[in-house]
Amino acid sequence: MATTVIDTIPAHLKPFVPSPTPATVTTEKSTIWGWLTTTDHKKIGTLYLFTALFFFLVGGLEAEIIRAQLGGPNRHLVSAETYNQIFTMHGTTMIFLAIMPLSAAFFNFIIPLQIGARDVAFPRLNAFSYWVYLFGGLFISIPILFGHGPNGGWFGYVPLTTRAYSAGINIDFWVIGLQILGISSLAAGFNFITTIINLRAPGMSLMRMPVFTWMAFVVQFMVILAFPVITIALFFLMMDRFFGTQFYEVAAGGDPLLWQHLFWIFGHPEVYILILPAFGLVSEVLPTFSKKPLFGYPVMVYSGILIGFLGFGVWAHHMFAVGMGPVADSVFGVTTMLIAIPTGVKIFNWIGTIAQGQFKATSASLFCVGMVALFTIGGISGVMHSSPPADLQQTDSYFIVAHFHYVMFGGSIMGLFGGIYYYFPKFFGRLLNEKLGKWHFWLTFIGMNLTFFPMHFSGMLGMPRRIYTYDAGQGWEVFNHISTIGAYLLAVATAIFIYNFFKSRVSGPAAGPNPWGAGTLEWTIPSPPPVYNFAVLPTVTSRYPLWEGKQADIEGARINQQSGKTAEQLGIVIPYSTIKPLLAAAFMIIMFSGLIVGHWLILVGAAATVLALYGWLTSPLEPEHH
Amino acid sequence: MIGSHRLRRLAPLGVAAVLALALAACAQSYPNTTFTPHSDLGRSIDFLWNRLMFFGTIVFVLVEGALIYVVIRYRRRSEDVTPPQTHGHVLLEITWTLIPAAILAFIAVPTVRTIFQTQAPAPANSLVIEVYGHQWWWEFHYPQYNFTTANEIYIPKGRTVDLVLRSKDVIHSFWVPQLAGKRDAIPNHTNHIWFTPDSNMATTVWNGFCTEYCGDSHGEMHFRVVTVNPDQFASWVTRQQAPGFFSPPPAPAAPAAPAAGATPAAPAAPTPAAPTATPAQLAAYILPRAQVPDYAIPHTPFPDAIKFDDKLQGDPAAGEKLFVGAGTCNACHTVAGNPLAVGMIGPNLTHVGSRIAIAAGMYVNDKPHLSRWIKNARLMKSGVLMPTLGKGQYDPQTKATTPSGLSDQQVADLVAYLQALK
Repeated sequence: MATTVIDTIPAHLKPFVPSPTPATVTTEKSTIWGWLTTTDHKKIGTLYLFTALFFFLVGGLEAEIIRAQLGGPNRHLVSAETYNQIFTMHGTTMIFLAIMPLSAAFFNFIIPLQIGARDVAFPRLNAFSYWVYLFGGLFISIPILFGHGPNGGWFGYVPLTTRAYSAGINIDFWVIGLQILGISSLAAGFNFITTIINLRAPGMSLMRMPVFTWMAFVVQFMVILAFPVITIALFFLMMDRFFGTQFYEVAAGGDPLLWQHLFWIFGHPEVYILILPAFGLVSEVLPTFSKKPLFGYPVMVYSGILIGFLGFGVWAHHMFAVGMGPVADSVFGVTTMLIAIPTGVKIFNWIGTIAQGQFKATSASLFCVGMVALFTIGGISGVMHSSPPADLQQTDSYFIVAHFHYVMFGGSIMGLFGGIYYYFPKFFGRLLNEKLGKWHFWLTFIGMNLTFFPMHFSGMLGMPRRIYTYDAGQGWEVFNHISTIGAYLLAVATAIFIYNFFKSRVSGPAAGPNPWGAGTLEWTIPSPPPVYNFAVLPTVTSRYPLWEGKQADIEGARINQQSGKTAEQLGIVIPYSTIKPLLAAAFMIIMFSGLIVGHWLILVGAAATVLALYGWLTSPLEPEHH
Repeated sequence: MIGSHRLRRLAPLGVAAVLALALAACAQSYPNTTFTPHSDLGRSIDFLWNRLMFFGTIVFVLVEGALIYVVIRYRRRSEDVTPPQTHGHVLLEITWTLIPAAILAFIAVPTVRTIFQTQAPAPANSLVIEVYGHQWWWEFHYPQYNFTTANEIYIPKGRTVDLVLRSKDVIHSFWVPQLAGKRDAIPNHTNHIWFTPDSNMATTVWNGFCTEYCGDSHGEMHFRVVTVNPDQFASWVTRQQAPGFFSPPPAPAAPAAPAAGATPAAPAAPTPAAPTATPAQLAAYILPRAQVPDYAIPHTPFPDAIKFDDKLQGDPAAGEKLFVGAGTCNACHTVAGNPLAVGMIGPNLTHVGSRIAIAAGMYVNDKPHLSRWIKNARLMKSGVLMPTLGKGQYDPQTKATTPSGLSDQQVADLVAYLQALK
């Protein structure tokens, strides 16, 4: 099948040719039933990719409505109530339904390939994670179509979100929906930690692990440590709303700051959960397109771990205006500043990676360079509000909106787009169109800056966040107008990407196993990979087996690239397909929706979930070994 | 290659964009800017901001410059070249770890110093103002002078003002960008923020905003801060301490008004307590409307759906009766001096006629807006508690039409009364 031959010459020495290799891309015949029952990490990763992109478009549409409303003073395109639902869902959608799952798409597809494994540790749990995410995402997203969307902000501060001040079912969907999505993230977290610890190929020591897998590893620990906190916070709120407990009840002496502390002990690590995968992707893409190993690999790993640790010690910098007192303000201000050090080191090391290399500007590498450039701006403004007195002017103004969009859009989304251009060939066996990709990049880069840079000004000129409109004559019109134009430009850029994505998936040029001349394990196997990934499990002797590997690496890669055999022919055991994870996820959603529909449904849903789990746990994962 | 050409073309574009923004910045005035602080606290913050901006700019230029440099300098010119396979450089990496750490020390030290300075207890003799956040308006109580007002405060220049922040429902946040940073008003908590407005600043109005999302009309929870000279403040205080009174000269209650008793008016036999105000109070200071800057006057248009005949003339005396009678305004509102009007749910209206705006800064305080507000407040501001009072009006919260209610003439009477409460 593949004619690209890996010989003793390192791949990156070969000229870059957009694959003269396979004329056709052979994929398995896929049926709907096949997708519903799949336990293959690659198919699940693909499902994550499509679903996350769908929700990215939903969140983007919400953003466009926000910008249309704020494009001029006193506009009433949507009412205050609707606007509040839209900004709540924009944040919730982008964080929980777009960026995190887009990262999950890469975790699923790429981690087993990077560490030389045939699947994740728990394939059925992996399917369960996806279905819980999909159903939970729909559960939290659909109500807005009926005017009952969550409207308490993505941060859901009490007492506004308690029954006393939000009597409707809007917040119910949010509380339950986030609880459901947390289950998905936690299951995936344990799954990937187990996978990375246990399923690495021989010779793949931790310090030979690609940095993307390393960052994913850090992220999963952050998930399993941070999500239980939001789970507890949401559980209290759920009990308050549905069963009359008084955890947050002000009249009963409850403290609204309890929620804020719990929320941000989750919420700040969450920021790093969103950004570290993009750090990882950039750390894969830049070396490949510079033909040079990552500069300062150990420091990149350690700084990622350090960011993970420090990320748990800075939460109260979201609360400098609540009046915590000078000691707490000082401590959290200084810890926040400290985080700039490992983050800065990463930026310098990326620049060091490009320096003295052979940098090739492709869609993937441009998005990653753009990520470094824009994330730097977000980092600098981040240091600006790490100083609590200065933050008193900045917090809850549009300056903050500018800051975190430079981090979340300029950082996470740009990095993830870089990852999509880079790994699209591995997902689908075809290359994305480079010309459209560069249009996508430049329009995104310009549109992003047009949208968010003026917000630094509107914020420091006094414009508060989360206002559905503003009056004329406040000095904010010009900046908001520019922001809105930028947002429309981003819509055009995204439309180009979507067109490119779907067109190239069907008719893009075939990629071959290693279209970029990259050095890591995932490029030693065909694109798209066969169901078993590796015909022979590789033995790893270096960080970039295709660049620096010994003869054994090269030989293994040759076999893996050229194997056209089926799993059966090779005697590789593949897990059964099963519908049970989907059923368990669906029944669990039914159980949760009983809180809104009627308590009898909780019992019905719980019984059905237990049955589905029983069926799942008593059926074998894979055929007996022969 | 293409990429680097584009980069070169992009550079002037970026410069042009920055220049355009700078030009735009000069062409307009910025009434809520944080860059020209008018208080000690504002200047402490501004000092830190300038330092952050200084280091931030250096880091920005160096990092982005280095990034652009390496991308252009080390662009791929040939596919056949293999660059040196370096893995890192320990000395370099230590250097670029230590330099940011050193910069952060220059930020951290003044930061901590400023935190402890600005969060010390307010100096004695400060003007205390208790601030209560409500969905979606502000209640202000001056405990040293014992009066309450809403959505508009006067503070004297040069005297420290100590704001004591509390909330009556959800979390709000108090922000006057030109004067100081934010501080949250949190139920079951008492917060402080204090600052001293400059003694040489202008006698003018500053806009204030709620900056913590607090529900439907969070975007319309504004207030006004009027900075005045100490003597003007003292005078204003005497007015605020007075009971609600009609400001037109024929007010029968003004004592010692010569020949006032001769007028046959004064039909208000059942008037619960004749409002009494001294001449000093009648003449007391309020910022003349001509001195109110345009940015402090709301421009929000009222919804066309509420029809009202603006030519109707109201009678303030009839309005006063309606206030405690058929209008049931007194169920929620207080007018000091009237023992029947002691409602605590809505804003204190004792001197509502002297305020610049209504509905927490959403609408200008004039007859067309006030009459429509009384007629159907819920159509004018999302989620408000203030009921829809006009007869036959559609209430968007109950989704029903109000069968009984006030006629337009009655609304006009109420407006005349409220406008008279200067």
